[in-house]
Amino acid sequence: MSQKPKSRGRAGAQAERGSGGEEAPSTSRGPGGAASQGGRRAEAPPTPGPRSQKQLELKVAELVQFLLIKDQRKIPIRRTDILRHVVGDYRDVLPELLQRAAERLEYVFGYRLVELEPRSNTYILVNTLEPVEEDAEMRGDQGTPTTGLLMIVLGLIFMKGNSIKETEVWDFLRRLGVHPTKKHLIFGDPKKLITEDFVRQRYLEYRRIPHTDPVDYELQWGPRTNLETSKMKVLKFVAKVHNQDPKDWPAQYCEALAEEEARARPQTGGTAPTPAPSS
Amino acid sequence: MQGSTRRMGIMTDVHRRFLQLLMTHGVLEEWDVQRLQKHCYKVHDRNATVEKLEDFINNINSVLESLYIEIKKGVTEDDGRPIYALVNLATTSISKMASDFAENELDLFRKALELIIDSETGFASSTNILNLVDQLKGKKMRKKEAEHVLQKFVQNKWLIEKEGEFTLHGRAILEMEQYIRETYPDAVKVCTICHSLLIQGQSCETCGIRMHLPCVAKYFQSNSEPRCPHCNDYWPHEIPEVFDPEKEREAGISKSNKRSLRSRQH
Repeated sequence: MSQKPKSRGRAGAQAERGSGGEEAPSTSRGPGGAASQGGRRAEAPPTPGPRSQKQLELKVAELVQFLLIKDQRKIPIRRTDILRHVVGDYRDVLPELLQRAAERLEYVFGYRLVELEPRSNTYILVNTLEPVEEDAEMRGDQGTPTTGLLMIVLGLIFMKGNSIKETEVWDFLRRLGVHPTKKHLIFGDPKKLITEDFVRQRYLEYRRIPHTDPVDYELQWGPRTNLETSKMKVLKFVAKVHNQDPKDWPAQYCEALAEEEARARPQTGGTAPTPAPSS
Repeated sequence: MQGSTRRMGIMTDVHRRFLQLLMTHGVLEEWDVQRLQKHCYKVHDRNATVEKLEDFINNINSVLESLYIEIKKGVTEDDGRPIYALVNLATTSISKMASDFAENELDLFRKALELIIDSETGFASSTNILNLVDQLKGKKMRKKEAEHVLQKFVQNKWLIEKEGEFTLHGRAILEMEQYIRETYPDAVKVCTICHSLLIQGQSCETCGIRMHLPCVAKYFQSNSEPRCPHCNDYWPHEIPEVFDPEKEREAGISKSNKRSLRSRQH
């Protein structure tokens, strides 16, 4: 039978309701509770005094949940969203909260909290565990597309020298039966996926090429791609698709190797989970 | 929670992969949870003996304690299947739904929930739910749209639909039992045997006590003359079978060997 949650959890919730204990991001108005109308913190203390370990622990827990939910949609998480939806009057200890949340995320779930680009104040979760083919069968959702349309486009971009025109992408994809204007059985709306969804998720960058008529766009790898995968991994994917060896493309192979070596050297910031010092 | 007597467990990549994949499911049946566990061992620690599921999960829960979440085990109300879900302990609201649904959709769920709790059978008809569409908070919703939203609830395993009527999915009960008991203390029904929240079940026609179907099955197992535990009157309902995972497995094997957990509904 289902376990009854013990009183500790409930007491904690009651104590925290004043400071916006209903943590759910964006749309929630705290159902059933009158306290958090319009997301305002009704009983904010005049000056934030020293907080108990328990209160901090609860805040870290909310922050971890928030980050996990946001990342499951592959939405990069902005610092301002964190402040607005979770941290609220605990903003003075935001660096500590982020540090503790990052530690828990990595130890418990195997996700590293990483800044998308230096000083962008936007974060994503990078998986420290290598995805395995059989994971796909075990999932309840789509997961990060390790094969499929995104990988194909990433491969195209890399093989063409890290940048490709949108028209060239469709020339290629049409041969696979994927059209910008036709609904696809598996991918649905490929044009929306490539030029909107993947861009929003920061897997791709999509920029207009000036002085082109008709207008053309260029596609490049986005910051999330650089964090989640590597040139070598993508090259191996392309090689596998062609049933060849990565070394059959010497220029790309050299480039991929160079990237691996650069990454192996000790980093100076960049992927550190700690937030920017000025909060 | 169990408190300080429980020793803090240790997370390894086996546990992490398990948690990551478990989180992609809102709720998972025990057999699939065991498959998932075996998969994670296979990836990271081929030679180790697979720990008993209950201990494995208790270990993870002792680590999750500081994050106010836990892997909770429950039982489906209709046929007694063990299910698992990762639930929030610190909040007493329907917050997990809040990130997936708009304000008016959440209010529709709340209305459906109230009808379900107030009903005698644990089911609320589609018609009755849709008639409340005008009373919803937030953006105005038409009945047609509300029908779609109800289907979304079914797909996401918050509600179950049977012949045009809706009841709570085991997932919703696992996640929201505390919230429901606190918010509707007078309307809530409770099982005489296990004392947990009861939405669907059987009741004694003489004294009115209620029992979950799987609780009935266990309580009256191999009892040829079932009698009400409270008033001793003859129990008038059909006694269901106790859920047998072995029988399930045999049936499953004859159907197909490799069944994917992948749900194609999202």
